[in-house]
Amino acid sequence: MSPLSPGLRLDGRRPNELRKIRCKLGVFNQPDGSAYLEQGNTKVLAAVYGPHEIRGSRTKALHDQALINCQYSMATFSTGERKRRPRGDRKSIEMSIHLRQALQAVIKTELYARSQIDIFVEVLQADGGNYCTCVNAATLALIDAGIPITEYMVACTASLANGETPLVDISHLEETSGGPNLTVAAMPMSGQIVLLEMSQRFHLDHLDKVMKHALRGCQEIKAVLDKAVRDHVASAGAACNWEFKTD
Amino acid sequence: MDAQYKVIDPVKFYRDHLAHKIRPDGRGLLKFRPAVINVDSIGTADGSAIVKIGNTTVVCGVKLELGVPKPEESNIGWLVPNVTLPPLCSPRFHPGPPSDEAQVASNMLAEILSNASVLDLRALCVVPERLAWAVYLDAVCLNHDGSILDACVVAAVAALRTVRLPRVEHDADKDITKVFPDERSSLPITGAPIPTTHAIFEDEVILVDPTSDEESLASGLVTITVQNDQMCSVYKPGGSPLADENMQACLSRARTRAIQMNNLIEAALAARDKEETKDQKLIS
Repeated sequence: MSPLSPGLRLDGRRPNELRKIRCKLGVFNQPDGSAYLEQGNTKVLAAVYGPHEIRGSRTKALHDQALINCQYSMATFSTGERKRRPRGDRKSIEMSIHLRQALQAVIKTELYARSQIDIFVEVLQADGGNYCTCVNAATLALIDAGIPITEYMVACTASLANGETPLVDISHLEETSGGPNLTVAAMPMSGQIVLLEMSQRFHLDHLDKVMKHALRGCQEIKAVLDKAVRDHVASAGAACNWEFKTD
Repeated sequence: MDAQYKVIDPVKFYRDHLAHKIRPDGRGLLKFRPAVINVDSIGTADGSAIVKIGNTTVVCGVKLELGVPKPEESNIGWLVPNVTLPPLCSPRFHPGPPSDEAQVASNMLAEILSNASVLDLRALCVVPERLAWAVYLDAVCLNHDGSILDACVVAAVAALRTVRLPRVEHDADKDITKVFPDERSSLPITGAPIPTTHAIFEDEVILVDPTSDEESLASGLVTITVQNDQMCSVYKPGGSPLADENMQACLSRARTRAIQMNNLIEAALAARDKEETKDQKLIS
């Protein structure tokens, strides 16, 4: 089934249109930093604890940087079929590792030697682009926790429809319809790619086009996240009577 | 300054507040936190509810599955409640197998739901001896700030009220099952147990609806569940002894709270119904 008839996707979006993003920072009081992010129907919650002392064995401590610990978990009711193992299965562990690899590239770990930063991500509703939404939510939670990061870490998916039209921010239906899925986690301001993953296949000639679309998706998502962060800081600052200058 | 004082000597910090009959979050000793309920927000679940009591947030999702009943219980389905306290909800919990607190909460939720006869399991049977519904009720705590059982049970009851069972046709001869996801009916929910947690501080002072800090300093906890103005369950895991007149006072507070919570659940469900009829009008 072609997802491009007539020129619109299944959910009514144009090929280069992102899903609606809604986000909120500082949603909970127990974690040091928390964020809730919705991209279309994918709803994700991220919580950051840290930096704190290393839990468990002290031998895991790194003498010159902080240890980053990520856990990716999906609620049992988040998918169409009930998920029997919310965490600990191979896919979740792989996602946790990818999450850590992406975030480790931006967190300034050298500032917190022998410490641990925990990042927990819970997917409440999964509708495609789970990893990307988790990365974006984790970035917001890190900002809310006040942990220094060099740049926003933003992730976006892209696909190729009918062998010629690139699609951005694919939903679950589009993911499972058989087309290629390209996931990119990048630092949008410097344009550096930190994580790249692809499934299915398409011709090498198309790679450049699809990647450009994914990176542009990252830039657009970053703009949305940045505005949310600034609004959050402005409202928190207004409550404390700060002066807010816009440059 | 205040925060440092709280870390250095938390008991004295609390005692000083209680001497003025006030708690650190500004509440009186017998004041409940505001509660918020939102239903049907998770699209992938067959029923869902999010409950926020103060800062404590619990999301409960229901998933339905079909199964073959056991031979000795051939005309009933299953209600499988579970409470998850993931590490993201509190710094006390770490990744790994379910903690003691999570297991106790799961057990309490299952007991309260069955004691209160919230759902008649015979209503889940589609074809005796052949096919029955299994209702998986998963309560995930997103932020643990005390009174977790209160939030979990209210979320579970509200989520069950939003569940719609699809119509199922089972051909016994050919052993074919057909599910009609567009023809749905509600579950017959016949109960609304509402728990209320109290904390006992230093054997004397009783605090209502404790936060996580208050629970950790408490010398005892008691949770009373009320349904239809009657006490249906009491959970008091050791701790300071509680005199009879204090227990009676807790019970009367629990009854008032139960009425308020039930009104809140009804209001949330009514708001959802209004949204649905509005959407249907837009579509048609």
